[in-house]
Amino acid sequence: MSPAEFLQNAQDFLPILLQGAWVTIQITVLSFLLSSAIGLVLALLKLSPIRALSWTASTIINVIRGLPIIVQLFYIYFVLPDMGVHLTAFYAGVIGMGIAYSAYQAENFRTGIIAVEQGQREAAEALGMRSALMMRRVILPQAFRIALPPYGNTLVMMLKDSSLVSTITVAEMTRQGQLIASSTFQNMTVYTLVALLYLLMSLPLVYGLRRMEQHLSRRKKA
Amino acid sequence: MIEIRQLQKHYGSHRVLHGVDLDVAKGEVVCLIGPSGSGKSTLLRCINALEAYDGGVITVFGETVQRGSKTVHALRSRMGMVFQRFNLFPHRTVLENVMEGPLYVKGEPPQQVREEALVLLEKVGLSAKADAYPEQLSGGQQQRVAIARALAMKPDAMLFDEPTSALDPELVGDVLAVMRTLADEGMTMIVVTHEMGFAREVADRVCFLHGGYIVESGPAEEVLGNPQHARTQDFLRRVLHPTGNTRSLS
Repeated sequence: MSPAEFLQNAQDFLPILLQGAWVTIQITVLSFLLSSAIGLVLALLKLSPIRALSWTASTIINVIRGLPIIVQLFYIYFVLPDMGVHLTAFYAGVIGMGIAYSAYQAENFRTGIIAVEQGQREAAEALGMRSALMMRRVILPQAFRIALPPYGNTLVMMLKDSSLVSTITVAEMTRQGQLIASSTFQNMTVYTLVALLYLLMSLPLVYGLRRMEQHLSRRKKA
Repeated sequence: MIEIRQLQKHYGSHRVLHGVDLDVAKGEVVCLIGPSGSGKSTLLRCINALEAYDGGVITVFGETVQRGSKTVHALRSRMGMVFQRFNLFPHRTVLENVMEGPLYVKGEPPQQVREEALVLLEKVGLSAKADAYPEQLSGGQQQRVAIARALAMKPDAMLFDEPTSALDPELVGDVLAVMRTLADEGMTMIVVTHEMGFAREVADRVCFLHGGYIVESGPAEEVLGNPQHARTQDFLRRVLHPTGNTRSLS
């Protein structure tokens, strides 16, 4: 295939793939937010001094980690309707990815919370803070900084793994690529473009996250 | 104001406090001295319930103190605490550190809190550092901010846990000067310290702890100038003459 042909095909395929890329971004951002919220709740429950709560959280985290993401997606998209819960493919994808990754987010947050110095808790307690206020004002802001590198990693992984929702018919970028490839047989052009577009999204993200980490650690040392 | 009766505390089988009695009246400055492991920091930390205790009773402002009790948050907000390692909030500026308590624990109006915080920073000599972050400050400056942060709650008593032990020697003076001012203003203070000069000049009373007991207690000039107990004498000899006296090391 000549470069001219490649460019001609690329011109035809790109608008469709870009539509898919937009869906990929939406899925990634929404499921990242959802996984952060569920992950934070799971982390706080797991750290709870109440045995029943920490045990429940641990069990949920282990079950989620023990299941393939695709199986979780299939379950939400194909099985839940049998129980009367109907979701569009898009929201099934967001919820599935959000739950699947919440287990990893919980570990990110838990590690960060544990790493905050004991003296910080004591200083907050000595001011008369109750535990909710102490979490919000003292512990979590510092835990977030500590957890930022693994947290950012998770975001990059979710961007790439959002391609898994193509298996439940969500028209994100990988799915769009598959559809074009199967109707045009231009596998090389299509998947090269798909790969380049993923890199175009992931590399700036990796770079931006590194800058953010450097900025925070510089502030800490200054 | 603060009453401690037969306070006992142990970690597993290791007994840290063996029935300590201590009364601190309003406006009184009490220094707790003694070798490391004598229980003086533990005693202080029990008073604002950073540690639970196993026997006896602590009463502060007429209410019983115990870790986990419902009134503990209210009691703590009336007692300032200053730590050996400062424990400033590293993600907030100096001014924000001082404002944190009154603003979020007491819910006072931001403008008033801000003005009062600036007055406190002025008092500890750090107005110029209001917008700096703690890591940009020396240890002595951080400790003075920590004192301002505690004072911002308008406490009825202040607890100091070895406030100068983590400081370079040349920075100790500024912190002690702030504490001396507080004492002169009539603040009720309990100070765990190794600064014998400060104890002698500022304390109304000095308690010497050893092995979980208050071995000797009385006016500063008596305990420090004419100690009765052999352990006190030995401790003071070591602290005041850290080099040269080999006999006391045996």
